[in-house]
Amino acid sequence: MASKTKTPSRKAPKATKAPVQTGMYRPSTVYKSPRTLAVNQLPAQFGRADLEFIGVDHSGASYEARVYVNNPKANANTQPTVANGYAGSYYIFGHGGCFGDIGHCDIPQKQDAFDRRPSHPLEPIRKVVIATDAIKQAAAQSAEIHVTVVPVIMSWTEKCDLTDVMKFDHINLVTYD
Amino acid sequence: MTSLIVRKNADNLDAAELQALRTGYTKAQAIMDNRGYNYFAGLHGIPNWYCWHHDHTTGSAVNAKLFLPWHRAYLLSFERAIRDQSPAAPKVGLPWWDWSSAISHSTGVPKAFSVATVGGVANPLRRGHIIAPTATPPINRLTRRFPGNPAQLPTAAQITNLLNLGQFNDFSNQLENIHDFIHGWTGGNNGSIGGDMGSLGTAAWDPIFYTHHCMIDRLWYMWQVKHGVNNIPAALLPLVLTPFNMKVEDVLSINALGYEYAVSFTTL
Repeated sequence: MASKTKTPSRKAPKATKAPVQTGMYRPSTVYKSPRTLAVNQLPAQFGRADLEFIGVDHSGASYEARVYVNNPKANANTQPTVANGYAGSYYIFGHGGCFGDIGHCDIPQKQDAFDRRPSHPLEPIRKVVIATDAIKQAAAQSAEIHVTVVPVIMSWTEKCDLTDVMKFDHINLVTYD
Repeated sequence: MTSLIVRKNADNLDAAELQALRTGYTKAQAIMDNRGYNYFAGLHGIPNWYCWHHDHTTGSAVNAKLFLPWHRAYLLSFERAIRDQSPAAPKVGLPWWDWSSAISHSTGVPKAFSVATVGGVANPLRRGHIIAPTATPPINRLTRRFPGNPAQLPTAAQITNLLNLGQFNDFSNQLENIHDFIHGWTGGNNGSIGGDMGSLGTAAWDPIFYTHHCMIDRLWYMWQVKHGVNNIPAALLPLVLTPFNMKVEDVLSINALGYEYAVSFTTL
């Protein structure tokens, strides 16, 4: 049996300066969960804990999203280790921007119930990070859980905006027996 | 008796097999109609966008997860096209790139796909020629590739954990995450622009694309051996894998499709 806790939608951040390149990959705007989860809302025992990222945009650059639990200062230079609260990463194989005519990358609504065309390739996706160890560690050390996600851009085309590559609707924390 | 196509590790192909593969790629890359490399590369992203990644909903309520079956059908069609242009002997199958191997963790992309020339001739396994006149703007150039640090590639332990996941949807999600990493890693960037494997639109023009996906398909096969060849949500079985004229239920058994994966293959 699974339990779910939803965090609110991520708001678009303010425009920032161009990110500083660190080594081969480039950093981009970091996400910090606006809400925290009280540890006493978690089941007393669970065998697995997932962080589900819902409504993830994949239209632009390819990037790694490093997920940290209870490390609000995490950034692209933070070592992804258990001690730093690193839970895991999801990766986006991006479409690289729009290479079609005007409107090609707009996600259409189904015309009616008889419209059986496949869904648009750019429909937002769901990514799952298995975060069991990080969640258990955080629950053992703190009364609250919050999530920081650090994007690191791996590859891009000339059509990609590199200042804010990571967009998703919300994060679910799901535990399983 | 028809024998199965044997797909091998790209690092284990002998000289004759490599030459047969290069011949197939060279000839296919020179064909501009629907038998050629440019046509098949264009099925994935630009301009046709048939590829299937992540969760999708079709006209029905089924939350379709067709990443693995679609790419299995895609590789099958591409492999046949390459074999049509390859010598009768040795019989060549698509090789896989084991990015979790010790060799890959030392050298990264297999040597057969990274050397610039072979016998003084440009290596057809290193770059493809993107001809996409209907893209905005039109694309007409060779592929580019800027791989990352080989030490970052997935480990054997990660693969073991992956193969131990018992549910198809869970396995597909986690394998696709590794798949996404490999695309970003292999395409990489040179500080100014990314490589084509890092962009879904042009990834399939880089010859390493098919070798990478052969490893993805092989991992699905290994998972099927462990958890059952028919272990997939029943609702997916009748779904069509466009444009290959196949359904999901048609691509579950690789032997029924005419191929197998082998670490080595020796005739005694």
